[in-house]
Amino acid sequence: MSGDDLEAALTTRTQNAPSELLSRSFFFLCAALSIVTTIGLIALLATEAAKFFTFSAPLVGVDGATAGIVEFLTGTNWDPTNGSFGVLALVSATLMVMIGSSIIALPLGLGTATYLSEYASPRLRSVLKPALEILAGIPTVVYGFFAVIYITPALGTVLPGLSKFNMLSACVVVGIMIIPMVASISEDAMSAVPDELRQAGYGMGATKLEVSTGVVVPAALSGIFSSFILALSRAIGETMAVTIAAGSTARFLNIIDPGAYTESALPMTAAMVKLVKGDVTGGGLAYRSVFAIGATLFVITLVMNIVSDVIAHRFKEEY
Amino acid sequence: MAADTSDVTAGFGQVSRTAGRVFRALLLAATLFGIVFVTILLLYVANDAIQPLTADPGWHLTFFLTLVVPTAGVGAFVYRRSQAAFQTGMLALGFVAVALLFSGGAAMLFIDIVRPLTWLAVVVALAVPAAIAVGVTAYDQRLPFLARFGVTTAAFYLSLFGLPGPLGTVASWLSQLGLPIPLGATLGSVRLVPSVVDVVSGVPVAPAPWLMLVATVGGPIGVVAGHAVARDRGRRARVAASSAFLAVVAVAGVVGPAVGVTPVPAVVVAAVGVVPPAAYAADVAVNAPRERVGLAVPATVIVGSLVGAGIVSVVGLAGPQSWVDWAFLTSAHSTNAESAGFYPSIGGSILLMLSVAVLAFPVGVGAAIYLEEYAPDNWLTRVIDVNISNLAGVPSVVYGLLGFGLFVTHLNRPAGTVLIGGATLGLLILPIIIISAREAIRSVPEAQRAASDGMGATKWQTVRNVVLPRSFSGILTGTILALGRAIGETAPLIMIGAPTIKFSLPTQVSETVTAMPLQVYAWSSLYATPDFYTKVVPAGVVVLVTVLLAMNSVAIVLRNKYQSHD
Repeated sequence: MSGDDLEAALTTRTQNAPSELLSRSFFFLCAALSIVTTIGLIALLATEAAKFFTFSAPLVGVDGATAGIVEFLTGTNWDPTNGSFGVLALVSATLMVMIGSSIIALPLGLGTATYLSEYASPRLRSVLKPALEILAGIPTVVYGFFAVIYITPALGTVLPGLSKFNMLSACVVVGIMIIPMVASISEDAMSAVPDELRQAGYGMGATKLEVSTGVVVPAALSGIFSSFILALSRAIGETMAVTIAAGSTARFLNIIDPGAYTESALPMTAAMVKLVKGDVTGGGLAYRSVFAIGATLFVITLVMNIVSDVIAHRFKEEY
Repeated sequence: MAADTSDVTAGFGQVSRTAGRVFRALLLAATLFGIVFVTILLLYVANDAIQPLTADPGWHLTFFLTLVVPTAGVGAFVYRRSQAAFQTGMLALGFVAVALLFSGGAAMLFIDIVRPLTWLAVVVALAVPAAIAVGVTAYDQRLPFLARFGVTTAAFYLSLFGLPGPLGTVASWLSQLGLPIPLGATLGSVRLVPSVVDVVSGVPVAPAPWLMLVATVGGPIGVVAGHAVARDRGRRARVAASSAFLAVVAVAGVVGPAVGVTPVPAVVVAAVGVVPPAAYAADVAVNAPRERVGLAVPATVIVGSLVGAGIVSVVGLAGPQSWVDWAFLTSAHSTNAESAGFYPSIGGSILLMLSVAVLAFPVGVGAAIYLEEYAPDNWLTRVIDVNISNLAGVPSVVYGLLGFGLFVTHLNRPAGTVLIGGATLGLLILPIIIISAREAIRSVPEAQRAASDGMGATKWQTVRNVVLPRSFSGILTGTILALGRAIGETAPLIMIGAPTIKFSLPTQVSETVTAMPLQVYAWSSLYATPDFYTKVVPAGVVVLVTVLLAMNSVAIVLRNKYQSHD
């Protein structure tokens, strides 16, 4: 028996010992559960949403009221009790939350990341980073309450026409909420920029400001963009803060009109909560529309997460 | 040409520092903006909930003199003598606060959710098969693994569930679905062999509940604490220390009724809230003489609070009219803001957290171990990898839909129960646990694995003896943070149909449950009156945020300690 055979025989015996097989298969099952979850999620959303649309409902054996997929995707009027399901009314509100919160979170998050990565002393970092982490740990329902009880009255003194529930304060709290996400992922990307690049910049006579904005930020751009997209996808999926703060009237708003932000609207997630919390009874068309909104939401966030992943890996600077 | 050169050299090497300074200040402002903003909001809400200004000025003065002044003095003294000692003191202080907070939760568990006899039965039912497993191994070292494994598994199953147990329920489900299983329909309801749990919890004569808790809760905690304190001082010292801690717990059960606390909560608070910080203090005092002086800080705070409370009650100075009071913490919801309470939601959150931990922790750590230690570099691994990071980005409300659709619509389970809530939140935090556990496992030095392999250890032996112990605190940190996320979530619970208002605590996993964030949402949406907005909701927010901050700070302290030791 040659040496190789011996080694193979020895390792095979230990690798296939019952305890090894058992532990390995247990760990594999745990990891495979994530695949099962995803498949289950997609299958569930697909079948339940299929019960909602006219073209697919007969396929899954639903008779009763249904809605057209074209009206769903292009309609601008959302009124489930009267049978109009135009999801664009909800999407417009969700987009407003995304735009409004990103105006706050992206610059502040990028500034935080730059400060933590380039300027802060190790001692200050060791205080600021846990503080940001704690900021991220406050439940979203609390942020929603803050928006209604403190931020809206405060903004109301500046903007007299502000309604009690409005998009503006929802945007503010969602923006604050996603700062830590932008900051931590961008900071990781900036810290990964090798020191040689900075030293080269200094060697060319650049100031710290020029090195930070001209060397570090461009070198970490793929990570920064992927953090932006992840944060935006988080803002889109954010539920409780907008449910409490944004109001419950679905309306199609012009997302680039600043005046629209003083009004109340119904983002997708808030609409799902509102439907489940009972203005409609179980089993009906309005109830099934929850899954249609959920599927739309899932597709949007999934696409954004994949895009973020692609940006982070494809466009990564290789040093 | 000459003139050009002099122009260049005139400004050479001179840079205005203004732009750099302004930029730096802007960045610092951006960093502080969110932190300061939220801190101010939290102060506002704490002010609304606790109303410190309604207290008698004499009350403030008393506590200023007995608590603030001595603490500041002692703290400054300790800090100047040794910063390490000061840190130890602050850690001990935080430990006291967190342990007392969690002991309140544990006391609640034993008063209203788990009967002490049932608890004793579960502990016995776990101890019996564990003893059998140890005995089998000791009887014959060379017993084949599968035989040992089979005996152990069967012993645990019999002891916890009896026959046919949950397998019978599964069989009856499957037979309902049309699979040919003999006796399928009856297996779900009959009981052939009773489990140890049933036997013990059915005994007609049982010791007093608090005595059972002294043994089952105080015993293990006392042993762990005693071993930690006297770890270098031999067996006799360890036994003595353990017995001392156990005695503290037992004494609490006797003394409790004398000061107006029923024995059960007294025992639990002593075991969970008093013994661990006391053990930490004793550990510092015995094993770290240089940091001993730091213990003066928590001692001053505790003595100062007690003295202050004594003076205030003797002189009769009114404290603040806080909405976070005993009645709020121990009563249920009411349509009247003054008498509305948080009790069922606190208990619900504790139960949800426990079930999430039981369901998600082993699976999450197992998946992380597979991906870091076992997974070959092939397409399946990459799919799992990408899939986990995508699952982490799925909105929580969609997980709620998954929980509802899967468990309620398709499996016909009742909506909004502890089990479904735990499973849904467990799926939600699974990716977070996996990602953080992978990071912790990755930080174990490769050389240690190689050393273990070199000594002939198998993969599983390396994982069990090297990787898991070395990465345990990192895994624990990530899990605590993830559990914090789980108990702060509201949307998935709404989606699975958890009731927003409940008046009692669930005593079984198949009962409906409410949770703290859900209750806050109900109060701020369904009962959106100014009365609720200014009294009850701030109180609920303060309790919820306190619990989460406590959990997160435990996790962060744990991580910092572990990182600095590496």
